[in-house]
Amino acid sequence: MKADYDTLLKEFTPEQVEKLKEIIERYKGKPGGLIPVLEEAQVSLEYLPVPVQKVIAAELNLPLSRVYGVVTFYSFFTMTPRGRHTVRVCLGTACYVRGGKAIAETIEKLYDVKEGETTADRRFTYETVRCLGACGLGPVVVIDDEVHGRMKPAKVKEVLNQYE
Amino acid sequence: MDTVTITINGRQVDVPPGTTVLNAARQAGIDIPTLCHFPSLIPIGACRLCLVEVKGQRNPQPACTFPVTQGMEVQTDTPRLYEMRKFILSMLFSERNHFCPYCELSGSCELQDLGYRFGLDHFLFETYTKPFPLDASHRHLVIDHNRCVLCARCIRACSEIAANHTLGLGNRGAATLISCDADAPWGESTCVSCGTCAQVCPTGAIIDRRSSYMGRNRQLDRVASACNRCSVVCAMKVAVRGGRVVRIESDWEAPVNGGLLCERGRFEPLHDERERVTEPMIRREGRLMAATWDDALEAAAEKLRGAGGADLGVAVSGDATNEALYTAAKLFREDLGASYLGLLNRNVPKLSGRSGTLADLATSDLVIVVGVDLMKEMPVAAYLSKRAVDKGARLIVVDDGDNGLAPFASLTVPTSDIASAVAAAAAAGRPVVLHGGVTGETAEALKKIADKASFIAMQPGVNAFAATALGFNGDGRAAGTKVLYMILGEQTVGQVIPGQFTIVQAAFRSPAVEGADIVLPSAVWSERAGSLTSTDGRILKADKAVEPAGSAKADWEILALLAQKMGKKSLSFDETSQAALIEIKGKERA
Repeated sequence: MKADYDTLLKEFTPEQVEKLKEIIERYKGKPGGLIPVLEEAQVSLEYLPVPVQKVIAAELNLPLSRVYGVVTFYSFFTMTPRGRHTVRVCLGTACYVRGGKAIAETIEKLYDVKEGETTADRRFTYETVRCLGACGLGPVVVIDDEVHGRMKPAKVKEVLNQYE
Repeated sequence: MDTVTITINGRQVDVPPGTTVLNAARQAGIDIPTLCHFPSLIPIGACRLCLVEVKGQRNPQPACTFPVTQGMEVQTDTPRLYEMRKFILSMLFSERNHFCPYCELSGSCELQDLGYRFGLDHFLFETYTKPFPLDASHRHLVIDHNRCVLCARCIRACSEIAANHTLGLGNRGAATLISCDADAPWGESTCVSCGTCAQVCPTGAIIDRRSSYMGRNRQLDRVASACNRCSVVCAMKVAVRGGRVVRIESDWEAPVNGGLLCERGRFEPLHDERERVTEPMIRREGRLMAATWDDALEAAAEKLRGAGGADLGVAVSGDATNEALYTAAKLFREDLGASYLGLLNRNVPKLSGRSGTLADLATSDLVIVVGVDLMKEMPVAAYLSKRAVDKGARLIVVDDGDNGLAPFASLTVPTSDIASAVAAAAAAGRPVVLHGGVTGETAEALKKIADKASFIAMQPGVNAFAATALGFNGDGRAAGTKVLYMILGEQTVGQVIPGQFTIVQAAFRSPAVEGADIVLPSAVWSERAGSLTSTDGRILKADKAVEPAGSAKADWEILALLAQKMGKKSLSFDETSQAALIEIKGKERA
């Protein structure tokens, strides 16, 4: 099968496509190359949509069904673009009883996203988690690597506005 | 050491080293329950129903993947194992919808059978009620993920048998689904519709549209048959109920196609809606009028008696069985001295060299395909070539146009560059050449590897191998003969030449039938017994599965009756089969 790099230019920059070529070149023909290629490709391309999987399958001489199987098996890989910032709302027991659910609902309404989704402007990827080990600060919202404790629905916009 | 001795349930069993515990037990007639295991597929030990206790092993081991070692002691049927298997089954039943009454496979289902065997008359665990999707986008097959137990038989069949790799597993855990390519709808995926997945599915997850709800396994009779759609001639089993063909299945025991069929062989015959010729007809006052067999045969015999050998010709399509070809050759050439014996399909002359068989593909390290698009013409040969590629063989496609195998080839070259394919073959260990009609320089170039490679001429005509062996080698244009006898069978090739008196035996309406003077209705593949010779010389027998439409008769039988009418000796079916076999095989050796 011939790898179709041109289709990728609809979604990715020429630099990103070049980078993908370079990654594949390093692992081509080596057994067990699929996961390292996917890992590095995701770092460069941010996500792995089907056209990228098709290129990787063709270049590594693997069935597309196998590549798709690996991409969907590991939670590390994502097929949809991620936002510039990751917002994680804790819904563990402690945060939940202290109003975590209301925080989550506020974010969902304000930014029109559901669990696991990314905002249309790719600013935020929104996830929920079960306990971050900071129960004393609950309800907790973690944005990228920064922890925001004692959250209130009214404070959501103000806190998230610190991230562009 | 040639064999190892193990003890299963106190019984000694001798098996070759490397045998799995499951196969050793089966050899000894000891039954171990299985679900994901399928004899023709590589075992993966996924379902854990075949767990057995092996002395010295801390935990029970899956029998399907566990190899025997000298002195091994195995228990297959302890109370602990029974409870474990029942627990595993209960878990399988608790996931997804295994509520049998509305399932197509109820009554023929391996999961259900196991449920009965382990006394699961109720659900032991609460069932998981989340509905899973159903994909009905495929023209022949439907997958209902709610019935799936994730045994991966279909995935393994798709990869190991069909070498197509369309099916795979997507997602993980409870959300795991069988998926096509990267989650494409089945009907839009790279699926080639070989149907092998449906044949291995143990539950009602993958079913085919045509045969669903038409009978349980035990209500179906299986009749051995041979596919007459192309010259690969795959062995198959026809599932019959109430005088109708319900389904076509592949024969797992078949030497070349074992387990494999293509869309044309498995599904198309069940959707053949061409108009049949159901009764004999004689042209009277310019129109074809219905007649009795006796009248039609008498009219034909009279015409043949009146014609001298020089005026008489016979033309066959590749659909004629070995028996028909033999009977026709005897009657027309030997008894009547016909001047012309022709084949209506293009004949592909064998290139000199070693004649191989399609089985050689399994051990080949280089496959050269030249002058034929196997994906289109003979799909099963294409799948076998792809299987060779999966095993590490190189595939070189020599074609000036598009070729269905090109995407899987390590090299695709135009015919002008045949030299590079020949050079690769010269360097290879066991090259196989599958060729269509090649002439001139290409043929000359290939002759350089004649001593080394296995050559298989891929005939466009189904039974062309036998037809040529029995002397039907005219080009199909029987000009110059005054009386022409055409044996078309299911094909609609051939044309009537004005002024020529034409007798046609055919199953379907076609221009040749419309122009004929006498028409004799021929039975189709499922309605007749007969054997076919594949393009690599295998002879496969088909039994009669159902009664012919109208008053149609088997092609060889029509010829035998005609011979009788003309006062010639005719042979029984078995005698004809045997004589044809000797003639075909004898010619092949010579």
